[in-house]
Amino acid sequence: MNAILPPLAGPARVRHVIKGQVIEGDSLEYGREPNRFTTPVLDVGALVWPRPTPTPAADVPVDEIIDVLVATGDVLKRDASGVLAQAMERSVAAGFYPRDLVETSFAHLGHMFSRASMEFMIAQEIGGKDLLDGWREVTAPSGRSARVRAFPCRLLHVIAGNSPGVAANTVIRGALTKGAHLLKLPSNELFSAPAILAALSEAAPGHPVARSFSAAYWRGGDEAVEGLLFRPQYFDKIVAWGGESTIKGALKYVGPGLELVAFDPKTSISLIGREAFASEAALEAAAEAGAHDATIMNQEACTASRFQFIEGSIEQIDRYCERLQAKLGQARRSASAEPRPIARSLRDEIDGLRDLEDYYRVWGGYEGRGLVIRSDEAVDFYPEGKVVNVVAVERLEDALRHVNVATQTVGVYPPQRKAALRDLLASAGAQRIVSLGAATPEVGLPHDGFYPLHRFVRWVNDEG
Amino acid sequence: MSVRSELVDAAVHEDVFDRSYPDLEARQLEAARELFAERREQIPVLRRRAAESGVDEIRSLDDLVPLLFAHTSYKSYPASFVEQGRWDRLLQWMQTLSTQTVTDVDVEGVTDVDDWMDRLRAAGHMVLATSGSSGKVSFLNHTRGDSANKQRHYRRMSGWPYVKADNSRVVFLTSPSKGPNSAIEAAVNSAAVWARPGEAHFLTDEPLRLADISASAALNKRMAEGLATPGEIAVARVQAQVRAERMSAALDDFVEKLLAHRHEPIVVSALWAQHMAIIDRAKALGVEDGGFHPDSLVSAGGGLKGVSLPDDYKERVDRFYGKVIRNNAYGMTEMAQTCPKCQCGRYHRPPGLIWLLLDRDGERLLTADDGEDGVVEGRFAFLDLLYEGRWGGLISGDKVTIDFKDCPCGRAGPTILDTISRYAQAGESDHIGCAGTIDAYIRGAVAP
Repeated sequence: MNAILPPLAGPARVRHVIKGQVIEGDSLEYGREPNRFTTPVLDVGALVWPRPTPTPAADVPVDEIIDVLVATGDVLKRDASGVLAQAMERSVAAGFYPRDLVETSFAHLGHMFSRASMEFMIAQEIGGKDLLDGWREVTAPSGRSARVRAFPCRLLHVIAGNSPGVAANTVIRGALTKGAHLLKLPSNELFSAPAILAALSEAAPGHPVARSFSAAYWRGGDEAVEGLLFRPQYFDKIVAWGGESTIKGALKYVGPGLELVAFDPKTSISLIGREAFASEAALEAAAEAGAHDATIMNQEACTASRFQFIEGSIEQIDRYCERLQAKLGQARRSASAEPRPIARSLRDEIDGLRDLEDYYRVWGGYEGRGLVIRSDEAVDFYPEGKVVNVVAVERLEDALRHVNVATQTVGVYPPQRKAALRDLLASAGAQRIVSLGAATPEVGLPHDGFYPLHRFVRWVNDEG
Repeated sequence: MSVRSELVDAAVHEDVFDRSYPDLEARQLEAARELFAERREQIPVLRRRAAESGVDEIRSLDDLVPLLFAHTSYKSYPASFVEQGRWDRLLQWMQTLSTQTVTDVDVEGVTDVDDWMDRLRAAGHMVLATSGSSGKVSFLNHTRGDSANKQRHYRRMSGWPYVKADNSRVVFLTSPSKGPNSAIEAAVNSAAVWARPGEAHFLTDEPLRLADISASAALNKRMAEGLATPGEIAVARVQAQVRAERMSAALDDFVEKLLAHRHEPIVVSALWAQHMAIIDRAKALGVEDGGFHPDSLVSAGGGLKGVSLPDDYKERVDRFYGKVIRNNAYGMTEMAQTCPKCQCGRYHRPPGLIWLLLDRDGERLLTADDGEDGVVEGRFAFLDLLYEGRWGGLISGDKVTIDFKDCPCGRAGPTILDTISRYAQAGESDHIGCAGTIDAYIRGAVAP
């Protein structure tokens, strides 16, 4: 990524992509300093794919699509045009993450377009390429014959901006399922999706897969736009990521014929057994794994651990906390070492605990190098910005009352403890149990309790 | 006498806003310097904040900025202290924000949070609580003297600049008459300064109980933990329903009394939604718009969170009361001294209240030069010099516009324009992330 870049003066120019065509323009202005940005005029009519015609890629064999995506990944890795590098600079300038984390995230994008993972996704989530490419013959116990196909849909994606990987994953999933896809850009990551789609068009100009994607920004919740677009005449499903307001906003339009696929807000936790204190090495390993899981995308990810429940004496737990705090500020693949000061509201909450030393102990300051609060009850606030609440428990099972349907990933140390805990955790609502240190998500496995590809299609049958 | 008490006491003068206070800014700064030096020794959280930000003396108003507390500071105690009845721990937390010793209050045998507040109040700590919509209440300590001074201040500000509070009227207040909440305190103060003996009418004498709020918070928590049964939710709904019916009957009586006195100068204070309910009942009784005595004082306020009102609710309320005096003031739970509104619709600053206009992020102090022609928009913060019981410095979530020039009404000094709104919370726009909690969904599930 060393192309020559134009200077970043004035408001950032956000590109739109309409059915594979990159659209430039700065007719509309949004945001406030220093995150002002402009977009081209929004042509709402151009954002839909009329119903009577099948979606552009409906009859393209999935193997060809995989080839196009692999080629897109190569374009992203090479980035000869500098489009991705420019998007990265824009993301750096927008300031949501420190530069090193943006760089590693963008550098990883091309590698997400891996043939092996796409083959795995289709096998796991759909159950075979034949279901995407045509009609699979089955016979019901009654003797009736039927043909089933994972049929392409029209999807409107309200994507999350806390990682550029969300846009890449959306493009991969959307392409593999052959539907038509409109991506609504989030204001905290305006640049990655258009850059990825530009790479797709560069890899396969005018290809039906390229023509299957559009990406545009409008203010989330803008009824003038959403009231027109969020209709079953144009889209089968709204795929909404993120916060309460996004999901609620989408829900307003959901009804017969328009389904919601929600990657709704999630929190992740860790469970650390007393085995962590068996040796110095075990403590080191647990603290390292705990720090890894707590700092995924600088703890902006839903997979990032925020509460760590731990068995042990107070003296032991304090040793864990001390080590954990020292490791939270380190640079990792998915975490930056550059400190970002903790939000003022959180600081006010933590200040309230510092003087209750009999019940709480705090390691670390507010500069963003990592802060750990040890307590015997989970804190009331939501830890962010490399803040971890380590909660002392008698037994790991005591943490179950903090687990609900919003608990996404539960990291367990040592891994042998998982088998005894996983059914209890799943019953309480948790969706993913991993060995501590392995909270970074994988594709081709369920996410938020479902297989995304499976829900990106409509399952259609032809019977008799 | 200290500069600080001189400025606070200025509110006793009837012409407080018409007098000139030469060097008011310099004297406010002097008072802030004096107050900080004293409070830093008394309040642990302030001491820590000062140490962390490196402020050891107030040399300019900028030095106050890192020392401002957020409203969340006053509810930064762990909720488990209340849920599990750890009243001594709650006192220890309260101590970190108080000037006086509270840890020696006897909490032996305390049964619930209202009981705990009663014990504190009995010991002279006039703790106020907010009934926050999040279910977690704030506790703000102040002294008996603070309470008395607030009432003294209120007597001067209420009715300004039109009429003087002189205990001559029949007063209607749509709040409970008892309870440790600042809205109730304000209503009680209103009754104290306006009502003639026996003529203060509250919506109800049923005290506001924090335990009821805590109970709903506890139920939400049990929901989140997967422990609440559908039966518990049903009971909570029925209780809410019963209470709503009781309040509805109380409102009928209240409106009947109010209408009976509408041809004499009265005082009415209610939230917008309550005014609308009053109008509905009056209309049902065949009472037309505009029959109120022109010297009546009618105030309306309150946010509309979760309440749906017709678009023209303000006009409807205006029409219903007709030509009356509409006094208003800008204030908040954490602020003892309110800012009353003049004939030009602008809020004026009492001498004992230091206004701090900050940038959106609350980090930089703005001055007249930050806007055009001395009109500047920013985040409202303040240091209230009145408090003896706690630190009076706070940063709010309010977006205000201050005109640093003199007011068109002719009075000197800066004014806040009548355009106050809230800053959106971070993430409320379309900054979308997949990390978050679903507390709000769970609360939504419990709410009737």
